[in-house]
Amino acid sequence: MAAQSGAKRHTFWEILQRIDRRWIYLVVWLVVMVPLIKPFPVKPVASPPVQQMFNYIDTMPEDKALLISVDYSPDTQAELHPMTIALLRHAFATRRRVGLVATYVYGLGLAEDALREVKREFDSVATSHEDSIISGEDFVFWGWTTPLLTMMLGMGEKITNVFPVDYYGARTESLPMTRHVKNYNDVGILVSIAGSSMPISWVAYAQTQFGLRIGCGTTAVSAADFYTYLNSGQFTGMLAGMRGAAEYEELVREKMAQMDMNWHVRNRGTEAMSSQTAAHIAIILFIIVGNIGYFATRRRKS
Amino acid sequence: MKRKLPLLIVLVTGIFGVLTYIIPHPVVQTTDSVIRNDILRIIGAFSLVLGIGSILRHHFIKIKRKSENWGYSWITVVALFVSAVIGLFGGIDPTRPGILPTHIGGFSFHIQSLFTGLIVPLGSTMFALLAFFMASASYRAFRARNFEATLLLISAFILMLGAMPLTRLLVKELPSFAEWILAVPNTAAKRGIGFGISLGILATSLKIILGIERGWLGGGE
Amino acid sequence: MSLSPDPWVWIAAILTLAVFSFLYRENPFYRAAEHLFVGVSNGYFITFTWHRILVPSLIDPVGHGQKLWLIAVAFVGALYFTRFIPKISWLVRIPIAIFLGYGSGMSLLRSIEAGIIEQVKATVVTRAMFANWQTGLWAIIILIGVICTVTYFFFSAERKGVLKPVSYAGIVFVMVGFGASFGYTVMARISLFIGRLQFLLGDWLGLIR
Repeated sequence: MAAQSGAKRHTFWEILQRIDRRWIYLVVWLVVMVPLIKPFPVKPVASPPVQQMFNYIDTMPEDKALLISVDYSPDTQAELHPMTIALLRHAFATRRRVGLVATYVYGLGLAEDALREVKREFDSVATSHEDSIISGEDFVFWGWTTPLLTMMLGMGEKITNVFPVDYYGARTESLPMTRHVKNYNDVGILVSIAGSSMPISWVAYAQTQFGLRIGCGTTAVSAADFYTYLNSGQFTGMLAGMRGAAEYEELVREKMAQMDMNWHVRNRGTEAMSSQTAAHIAIILFIIVGNIGYFATRRRKS
Repeated sequence: MKRKLPLLIVLVTGIFGVLTYIIPHPVVQTTDSVIRNDILRIIGAFSLVLGIGSILRHHFIKIKRKSENWGYSWITVVALFVSAVIGLFGGIDPTRPGILPTHIGGFSFHIQSLFTGLIVPLGSTMFALLAFFMASASYRAFRARNFEATLLLISAFILMLGAMPLTRLLVKELPSFAEWILAVPNTAAKRGIGFGISLGILATSLKIILGIERGWLGGGE
Repeated sequence: MSLSPDPWVWIAAILTLAVFSFLYRENPFYRAAEHLFVGVSNGYFITFTWHRILVPSLIDPVGHGQKLWLIAVAFVGALYFTRFIPKISWLVRIPIAIFLGYGSGMSLLRSIEAGIIEQVKATVVTRAMFANWQTGLWAIIILIGVICTVTYFFFSAERKGVLKPVSYAGIVFVMVGFGASFGYTVMARISLFIGRLQFLLGDWLGLIR
């Protein structure tokens, strides 16, 4: 597959330049898979934007709710889903009220999946009804509506106008949590977890008009672009990619350990860090080897 | 009529949209609320027709003409109808089932099962392929041909290494340096670019409202 | 190793492998998976548009004799169907115009405030930024960087005199910024693959707990 035999003899670097792409794919596959099965011990350390969001949610007034906007679809769920799960764990462990919405229809299924997972974790150790996580009381999954304007501006006026029924079909007016969370005035922070520029839309509509505090969980692709909003204070903290998720998971794990909530859970962000490290080193080596080969063959040709 | 009426609607609704932000009068705000909560939402829901209609038309034409790989079009059409029937008649919340049963024995084929069992693996794996293409492109195309490209590469390397918890053990300052690159020079560059983008959005919005930008009308009269 | 007993996990694993087979070469398994994805995701979209938008916002109120004027709104929405009727296809422009006009108008001032005014405010160096010397210095670098970057993208004047070094400094900032984006893009793409392997090795094969 790799070597091209012919009249002209190729150097090592030339052969390397012409290597079949599938060998590169195989290396990527192995470099990611092996550390997942045999991880090396890594402990994520929270970067300042992650710590900022954690601190705010951890210390915000108890009567204020955490609003999570699941603004991603399955394509970016590997990076973003662990963030939603970690945020839900943090909120339920500290007994915050949680509201969930989705700006894309496919965010609905992912939000439901995250809720089921975290609810199961807490319910499995609950000893009484009060310890359990109950829809309508501890959280409301308002669901999805279109267009964005309807959701982002309407929720600042009256949430039940925007969502007459929740995801499960219950009338939102009749839910116990509706007494406490009527509009953005009752929300401490909205965290938009997005694979697009949706957090900026939340800033443009909900923050500009209603002064809502916005946190951001984003794919690593968008993270570098969003630092301008972090710097301007329009975002209160940011989780960037799987690394951001891992750092938040670690903060939540420490918090829950302090509260004697030491049950075993899968922290998918943290779990991925060994593979991520190995893959980054592999990509750097790919670039270096590719460049050496390029310059070596160019010099030979010239 | 065919072009002037839509352009007039854009002008009127556009100006009203602007006014809602600067006039706090209850009449304006109530009207705005009705437009958003009732009118836009219902019209927006109907826009689904455009997407689904186009997909179905495309695949039915392929099937009718027996174009290349037409057999696969049946998969799309059947999957669309079956999943829509399950969702529409089987309900959303498994505890409040619809008129269609969504399980056979212990096997559930509820809409959330279809989502986690079909949509999630297919959607996320298609995007996971990008990891391989990116690795291949890094090896073949990423060349430090000049000073600017070298600068880009060095910045990328620092970010890639600084982002990983393990590198903290090797070079203690690397993560903070990576964070500094993001928070200072990167922020400056992205903010400069961001100004251009925001001004572009502003200009496009104005051109649409004033009827200068008419691409959305499509072809024809 | 403990294999999952859940049939949906097996279905998801087979579909994951079908899509990954594309890495070797284009093949019927990949193509079938691709078409299945388009079909099911649109079925899902129809489900929620009906149950969570049309039923509570249109069918229920009109069915209970309230807000009967919504029937007229539904009629305007139904004009989307005219897209497929050549003789009256121009009518599809009406619902699009309502959406486009209102959306553009609503976003106009809000985008200026969020994307320009607040960003300019954050760029201006103030006395408060010198609470410690580092934040003050970084604020000055950001201000210089923004000016240089904007100058680099300012094409209305020839780059000579003072504009030349300033716009070159702009390139340096832009390249560092793009490098940061590239580094993070690598992280993002690898994460997507890790996510699928976590599913295959963890949820399906039970090798990760």
